[in-house]
Amino acid sequence: MSLVAEALVSQVAATEPWPEDATLYQQLKGEQILLSDNASSLAVQAFLQMCELPIKVVCRANAEYMSPSGKVPFIHVGNQVVSELGPIVQFVKAKGHSLSDGLDEVQKAEMKAYMELVNNMLLTAELYLQWCDEATVGEITHSRYGFPYPWPLNHILAYQKQWEVKRKMKAIGWGNKTLDQVLEDVDQCCQALSQRLGTQPYFFNKQPTELDALVFGHLFTILTTQLTSDELSDKVKNYSNLLAFCRRIEQNYFGENGKGHIPLRGKSEGGKPRHK
Amino acid sequence: MADKSFVGGIREPRQGLVRVIRRGRSGWGGGRVALERSEVSPKLAPHFGFRLSEAERRGGGHFRGTRGRGGGKMAAPLELRCWGGGWGLPSVHSESLVVLAYAKFSGAPLKVSVIDNTWRGSRGDVPILTSEDNIVSQPAKILNFLRKQKYNADYQLSAKQGADTLAYIALLEEKLLPAVLHTFWIENDNYFTVTKPWFASRIPFPLSLILPGRMSKRALNRILLTKGEPPHYHLKEVEAQIYRDAKECLNLLSNRLGTSQFFFGNTPTTLDAYVFGFVAPLYKVHFPKVQLQEHVKQLSNLCRFCDDILSCYFRISLADG
Repeated sequence: MSLVAEALVSQVAATEPWPEDATLYQQLKGEQILLSDNASSLAVQAFLQMCELPIKVVCRANAEYMSPSGKVPFIHVGNQVVSELGPIVQFVKAKGHSLSDGLDEVQKAEMKAYMELVNNMLLTAELYLQWCDEATVGEITHSRYGFPYPWPLNHILAYQKQWEVKRKMKAIGWGNKTLDQVLEDVDQCCQALSQRLGTQPYFFNKQPTELDALVFGHLFTILTTQLTSDELSDKVKNYSNLLAFCRRIEQNYFGENGKGHIPLRGKSEGGKPRHK
Repeated sequence: MADKSFVGGIREPRQGLVRVIRRGRSGWGGGRVALERSEVSPKLAPHFGFRLSEAERRGGGHFRGTRGRGGGKMAAPLELRCWGGGWGLPSVHSESLVVLAYAKFSGAPLKVSVIDNTWRGSRGDVPILTSEDNIVSQPAKILNFLRKQKYNADYQLSAKQGADTLAYIALLEEKLLPAVLHTFWIENDNYFTVTKPWFASRIPFPLSLILPGRMSKRALNRILLTKGEPPHYHLKEVEAQIYRDAKECLNLLSNRLGTSQFFFGNTPTTLDAYVFGFVAPLYKVHFPKVQLQEHVKQLSNLCRFCDDILSCYFRISLADG
């Protein structure tokens, strides 16, 4: 958003309390949503649960087009629409709820750095796997992405999106990477997260922050999604403290009180192992 | 019978190995090949059960007892091809500067070959490190390669600090790099008065007409593809956003550095190399449009950090100008 628009939104946001009918929009859970979008959506849901703000999840086939920035998820609160975790965190902060107030400057810097690490490596790796790995594209992504549209629109949109993602990969230098190199990067990222987490319950000791929500969103989605092969989830499974972390957040914020629910996607069962 | 001369995977026999073969043949059928330590090249030494001392491993040069072989180097020389320096910096290009700084910190003996306007050598995808059979091209890969060759600047870091390094590097690439690219390649005043003439003077004609333009387009592409999504419909809004992000990132770095000499104590590490590589060109190069430079100059500890590294590790190039 431009500076003026953002200042305006913050101003308006601060005046109203969080309404009861706030909604979060994402794509269709069972048939359409992809790995990266599901991860982002789960991260936002986890964040809002941690702030104890009520949110209703609504699935729409055209969620991507409704969003102001073209990315899902986005939330509709009062008469404002905010998309992506970063702006949502700021919006929620303007309303007076924040998870990272208790951190000092150095810790806030670290938190931002680790969030960038997750976005840079995990999210990009997920996008790579979805759109640049031919096996996954052919079996899963194309059919899911084009699900709500009739022929030939489903093919055209899927190819267009694939072309866009490949362009972006090339611009940031991931165009020449092989799948093995990407998986190695994922492993490195998970190792860094695991070392930072150590034996603590959350990344900044006792209280969860937006970093915990983001990491949970990505790791949980990777662990519970069935792809053409299990290599990606195996990389995460190597780190037991990350598994315990995901389980802990799921139990605390999504399990017992029944407020939220983990959208376990029933992926296409055609998960035959990739032949190298 | 497995030929010992090929145990290291070296395809062509070298002078030291010729000696091995000769002795092997003469001692065949009963005698064991007795090798002198000084006859074995450093690459093969572990296979023969010799341990290299730190000096020999790092020296990468002559061994005692080369026995008049013409003083040829046994270890692979590492050659780095990168853009040259100016304004007191050893290199004006951020990525080249990261690699140069890391090499100095870890003690890697690099032979630096600066790109000039002769037709010798390649110019694309710089910095490029060549050792005898490897060509490595991006800064992250080059640093990994140097670490595998035992030139490691991070050996004193704890696991958590290593994880922090990775996170801060990601932060730099996401938040600061777009602004650095914009300042150098997209801001019209800067590009046409400083960057383009500088690079064009170091590229032979007629490539000098094409290459700077291509680099500029690549930078613009990268910024637009990663940052220029709706609701930013104008380049102006993207610019405002990336400069804001860059200033915030510089503030975060300054907070993290505090009053210590380097980011992790008293010895420089990979993170110091990256921060130096991205911040020093912003700090030192004289641009007409200086909004980010002003901001850097206000963060006195970052300026002190860059100056310290320049004076301690790059003293020789400073003297050259």
